[in-house]
Amino acid sequence: MAGIEKASAPRAGAHTVIGSSIVIDGEISGDEDLVIQGTVKGRISLKESLFVEASGVIEADIETANVEVSGQVTGNIGASDKDELKADCKVVGDIRAPRILIADGAVFKGNVDMDVKEAKGK
Amino acid sequence: MTVATTDGTTIIGESILISGSLAGDEDLTVRGRVEGTLTLTRTLVVEPTGQVKAEVQVKNCIIAGVVVGNVTASESVEITREGRMVGDIAAPRVIIVDGASFRGRIDMGEVDVGAERPRAQAARPAVPARAASRPALAPRAAPAVRSPEPRKSEEARPAPAPVPAAIAARPSVPPAPVAMGAVKRKVIVKPRK
Repeated sequence: MAGIEKASAPRAGAHTVIGSSIVIDGEISGDEDLVIQGTVKGRISLKESLFVEASGVIEADIETANVEVSGQVTGNIGASDKDELKADCKVVGDIRAPRILIADGAVFKGNVDMDVKEAKGK
Repeated sequence: MTVATTDGTTIIGESILISGSLAGDEDLTVRGRVEGTLTLTRTLVVEPTGQVKAEVQVKNCIIAGVVVGNVTASESVEITREGRMVGDIAAPRVIIVDGASFRGRIDMGEVDVGAERPRAQAARPAVPARAASRPALAPRAAPAVRSPEPRKSEEARPAPAPVPAAIAARPSVPPAPVAMGAVKRKVIVKPRK
């Protein structure tokens, strides 16, 4: 974690954080990491990583490169790289990503699609 | 990851676009773009790279970037040197720094405006009027005694005659109602004598 924190520190300047008391109803899009501690309804589309922290509540469709969920997500998740469901998270919706990690303790309901092309290639 | 990020403050990064409604109870720093409505119970900071095109309702608002839309603040709105804004501001305190650009209306609250304007308007004409009337009384009264004596007689006939002592002062008084107080004083003084 220390390494990760150091890596994220330089980004922190441009880092977007949606605080725990914030409620966004609409669309979020961008080219940088997004940390959500609050509530977002609508749609999220990023070209970088999305972090849904323990206090975060998402009711939205998500399109990003990476998703790391520690909070609650209701909606479909599409990640071009990786989707990680951490312990104590709650996710309801379909997940589509080449790499999907579900930790022990995570609650998930929905379909998983790990990109059929890879399977065909193999 | 959570530890590395700042708590209690929300930051909208440079490349981020939020369209829709945004509400919250914490400070918000906008370096990217926000469109729609923005409601906070605390401070909104629009940094030089930030663009807000929204109806904004906050406690405090500091604009160093671009804001298009109406801003309502319960405390203050400050447009800094880099700030550019188009829209109406409603806030009890509005600070616009030299170099800032702004187009729109400002409403600092009816109570304050109502209290200040009458003071300013009343004070400006009142001061010269009083100053003019007070010294004017003496010169007016003096010539009045000499030249408009016929007036005295005309006015004195229909008017009550029981105050002959004040005749010299009274006829000169009517043209300047402001002088009434002064006249009364004179009248009062004379009976005392």
